[in-house]
Amino acid sequence: MSDQTHMPVQHDLAPGEEEQHSVGERIIGYVVGLVLALLLTAMSFFIAGTDLVWQPSIPVALIVLAIAQMGVHLVFFLHITTGPDNTNNVLALAFGLLIVFLVVGGTVWIMAHLNQNMPPMDQIMQMRS
Amino acid sequence: MLGKLDWSAIPFDQPIPLVAGAMVLVAILGVLTWVVVKGHLPYLWHEWITSVDHKRIGVMYVLLASVMLLRGGSDAIMMRVQQAIAYQSQGYLPPEHYNQIFSAHGTIMIFFVAMPFVIGLMNLVVPLQLGVRDVAFPTLNSVGFWLTATGALLVNVSLVVGEFSRTGWLAFPPLSGLTYSPGVGVDYYAWSLQISGIGTLVAGINLVTTVLKLRTRGMNYLRMPMFCWTTLASNLLIVAAFPILTATLAMLLLDRYLGFHFFTNEAGGNVMMFMNLIWAWGHPEVYILVLPAFGIFSEVVSTFSGKALFGYRSMVLATMAICVISFMVWLHHFFTMGAGPDVNAIFGIASMIIAVPTGVKIYNWLFTMYGGRIRFATPMLWAVGFMVTFIIGGLTGVLVAVPPADFLLHNSMFLVAHFHNVIIGGVLFGAFAGFEYWFPKAFGFRLDERWGKLAFWFTFTGFYITFMPLYIAGMLGMTRRLQHYDVAAWRPWMFVAAIGMAVLSIGVICQVMQLVVSIRNREALRDRTGDPWDGRSLEWATSSPPPVFNFAFHPDVRGEDAYWDLKTHAKQQLLGHHPEPEYQDIEMPKNSPTGFVCAFFATIMGFALIWHIWWMVILGGLGAFATFVVFAWRDHDEYVIPAAEVARIDGVNLEERRSLVSMAGSI
Repeated sequence: MSDQTHMPVQHDLAPGEEEQHSVGERIIGYVVGLVLALLLTAMSFFIAGTDLVWQPSIPVALIVLAIAQMGVHLVFFLHITTGPDNTNNVLALAFGLLIVFLVVGGTVWIMAHLNQNMPPMDQIMQMRS
Repeated sequence: MLGKLDWSAIPFDQPIPLVAGAMVLVAILGVLTWVVVKGHLPYLWHEWITSVDHKRIGVMYVLLASVMLLRGGSDAIMMRVQQAIAYQSQGYLPPEHYNQIFSAHGTIMIFFVAMPFVIGLMNLVVPLQLGVRDVAFPTLNSVGFWLTATGALLVNVSLVVGEFSRTGWLAFPPLSGLTYSPGVGVDYYAWSLQISGIGTLVAGINLVTTVLKLRTRGMNYLRMPMFCWTTLASNLLIVAAFPILTATLAMLLLDRYLGFHFFTNEAGGNVMMFMNLIWAWGHPEVYILVLPAFGIFSEVVSTFSGKALFGYRSMVLATMAICVISFMVWLHHFFTMGAGPDVNAIFGIASMIIAVPTGVKIYNWLFTMYGGRIRFATPMLWAVGFMVTFIIGGLTGVLVAVPPADFLLHNSMFLVAHFHNVIIGGVLFGAFAGFEYWFPKAFGFRLDERWGKLAFWFTFTGFYITFMPLYIAGMLGMTRRLQHYDVAAWRPWMFVAAIGMAVLSIGVICQVMQLVVSIRNREALRDRTGDPWDGRSLEWATSSPPPVFNFAFHPDVRGEDAYWDLKTHAKQQLLGHHPEPEYQDIEMPKNSPTGFVCAFFATIMGFALIWHIWWMVILGGLGAFATFVVFAWRDHDEYVIPAAEVARIDGVNLEERRSLVSMAGSI
């Protein structure tokens, strides 16, 4: 089917289908990604155990670092770019994020409200006090 | 050695499953013997079982769905008869058997009838409509089909070896937990769905990739036929939703096999989480089924009205809107579970909103028909029947989307009537319309119109006689899944429903007769043009049945309704002598037994997991993995069809078409 995959219908590439870069450039890309990923991991471990920062900010910092970590993986290892050759991949990612957000967010919301019509006894007692 | 399996697994004391199982076994053995004795085995192996041709795989999917439709249909007949006679008595089915029947009926009809039917039609038609030679991953496609067949096989094995789940088609815990279902029934259910679920996911990935990456020259997104759009939306939903089902069933299995506490009442488990997760898959699932049906109706309505589809872009928009909104409504399946008014209200409103794009589609089909020259061939009858029936089902759906109303109707026969109204009226009518419409394309001869129309009218009226009484019974307070009852007011309606079931069955018999009669008269019904319905999209541009490479040349698409443009063009420059086209070699993927062998080992593994035969689990797992490794190490996966052969095959097709055009010219 090789004659079809290269048809000029659109210009997006599948993940793993690399654009032509020299080997050196590609190695540099992976090394930068690796260093950034390690750096972010080390920072997470450091922040979790430190008392240098305001304690309640630690969970927020960990979330920020985790999202940055995902970003690094997407850019340097999965090669998601904003270029026109990547439209499908970006759309797929956006669709995936939307669904994950809907399902996880919806589940948290639903499960938090399940006992509204008939709360367990201890919750009713709390409401009274 | 054999885990939980011993002679007590075979229900010698229950005549119905045993006799049914024996009959099926005799039938299968008979067919196998006939195949071997007549020497058809090599043909079957080389041309079908190992085939990676999307058309062949599509046909096999539809065949699987049709056979399973008969199985699920017999379950339905048994249930209707039971409820008709079980007034103040036990009826003829003992409770544990009746519970297995309604569980198997739901499981089979959704997973092994509706799913393979629509996936089969998508496989058969989408590459042809896109003007390409194959799907994106041909061998993976075959693996997907055979894994689905494995799931179907395991469900049917449960008829004779052991038992099936008694917990309804979604196996809610705690009933499906180890405490209340210690037998193998739920394991049969869960493992067959896990295995066939992988098959479905694989098919989904394959079809999404096909639509996104393989389109012929000029086939922009907004020139794709509607069926390709609904295929894209439906398969995006498969890719997004089926992992949820797999994860949920995996957690249930961990609870059952390894003593986990995801869905138990003690140790921090939460039963409600299962309901939440399974419906987060379950609601998109109904759109996975019905979107392709919408696509089929779009094709059928526009072809048989002789007009381009009205509001093509609004149709695309509606399809994609349904694709996204279908992930925002799942709570409406459990309004009564305890959520407060704000949660219920939001999901209720979302459920009503999703009816809007569906309404847009209905109006588009109506306006497509308006002013058209409508030909009421069998596919068109199914389409019109669908519109009437689906509107009723949709309206009752909007009704149960209102939370206060749902509190009264939840789990009643009204609900049963509602979802049969949309699934039979939507998905099944769609599948039949697609079957009648594309059968000539797949096999090269049309289906008998007289039997087809009879089948439609019997099924259509049978459907109404069966399911309208269930609405009434529901409003009289009858709950679903009753093995027997003592309320006199329900009884007449159960009688009527049973009579309706008989009429529906005549419809099914007509459908079988249609197939038999058509095969016998195939020479008279032969379609030599490749375009029996005066179609509009590219699948009609090639011969029926299409050659293995589909198109000798990649068609050049200049607008919507690609083939219609081509035909208009050809009629204008009538009989202009075309230079002999320059054919080139075509590379096609080689057949591969990977799918069949993988599924063979998956069957062994699934069966062993159900019965706790651990050495066999390892054997099956290793076998499946080894098959994958062997396939991954292959050297050549394509073969070449030489240009001369392409020219010979295409020449026959061109000759037929030229004679057609010259005939049209002489008139």
